[in-house]
Amino acid sequence: MATGKEFPSGGTGDNTVIGPSILISGKLSGDEDLTVRGRVEGELSLSKTLIVEPSGIVKANVAVKNAIVSGVVVGNIAATESVELTQEGRMVGDIRAPRVIIVDGASFRGRVDMGDAAPRAEGEKRPAAVRPTLKTTLARPPAKPLPPGKPAVAARKDDEKPAPPPPPAPVLVGEGGKKKVVIKKKK
Amino acid sequence: MANTIIGSSIVIDGEISGDEDLVIQGTVKGKISLKESLFVEASGVVEADIDTQNVEIAGRVTGNIAASDKVELKSDCRVVGDIKAPRILIADGASFKGNVDMDVKER
Amino acid sequence: MASEQINIIGKGITIRGSLSGGGDLVIEGHVEGQVALKNHLTIEQSGTVEADIKADELTINGEASGNIEANSRVAINNTAKVHGDVKAPRVVIEDGAVFNGSIEMDVKLPDDI
Repeated sequence: MATGKEFPSGGTGDNTVIGPSILISGKLSGDEDLTVRGRVEGELSLSKTLIVEPSGIVKANVAVKNAIVSGVVVGNIAATESVELTQEGRMVGDIRAPRVIIVDGASFRGRVDMGDAAPRAEGEKRPAAVRPTLKTTLARPPAKPLPPGKPAVAARKDDEKPAPPPPPAPVLVGEGGKKKVVIKKKK
Repeated sequence: MANTIIGSSIVIDGEISGDEDLVIQGTVKGKISLKESLFVEASGVVEADIDTQNVEIAGRVTGNIAASDKVELKSDCRVVGDIKAPRILIADGASFKGNVDMDVKER
Repeated sequence: MASEQINIIGKGITIRGSLSGGGDLVIEGHVEGQVALKNHLTIEQSGTVEADIKADELTINGEASGNIEANSRVAINNTAKVHGDVKAPRVVIEDGAVFNGSIEMDVKLPDDI
């Protein structure tokens, strides 16, 4: 690759790659995506996306738009859009971003500050109808069905009216009563 | 091998070292030390002392350059600094100011 | 022991105090205080928990604030809003979740870091 020929240079070096044997120690800033396969120490400041590949090590405070970490980051990351730790990502430091995703398998130690975002899907993810009873036309915010793997007292949705299925009668304290009240109110 | 490209909007202030080829299209200030080749492209601006095996410069370099093999200044480059290398090639159109020392033992 | 019992705290219920047990627990209502479970705790989307929680595994779809400790995994799903310190060997945060606090997992760093 490095033949000294002119790459589509002059401008759209769209993606800078730090190879696996490179060590950069100092301050790095730029307006393009950066992929780190080697080692960067110091300070990193990008207006686009930082990608730390599994072989990459970043020991720096990072200010970016997005960060996707599959390698090692020791330091704080402040992102204006999102930070994602993938399954091979390991990070020690604080994350400040409106969206943070930590995939199962990642390891992380530090603080997370998302600020005051509202959780997604107040209206989206809700499956229609919910737990027991209440086969209703209510616009009552239904609860999500029980998590997978866990038997479903609740997941019956509007199939069965009452019916706690399994022997261990779940503690449905007050539930039925309250529902009736609600119905009345809505009407 | 040449895995590393410093893109044109990147500015690095610090030290770079490594065992692979490096292509610079952006700006580097500080120090560069490689066991392989350094390519400073036309858009590259380097204010650093350079210590590598080979150097090929098409952009701007200010700093001392030491290469164990060869230094090549291509046409339209601008280099200010001392060059120390067993082989040197300066193309027509290159602009250079500094000392040249070719009496170098192989590393 | 009450083997695999599933317990549900329904939406209209508020509990203040401490909750402990060996079965799974699903919270759809409001709990304040302390929760200590040997199994799986699920906080549903309608659930709000202001408590220190210790469980084997935790799935959060609703609101939780307090210190959370799990033996296996904490899953903060996309409708969740969690505030507090989380300590577990595995923690998952889904896109869309809101989390403010600290997370402590075991992080294996390379020796030359």
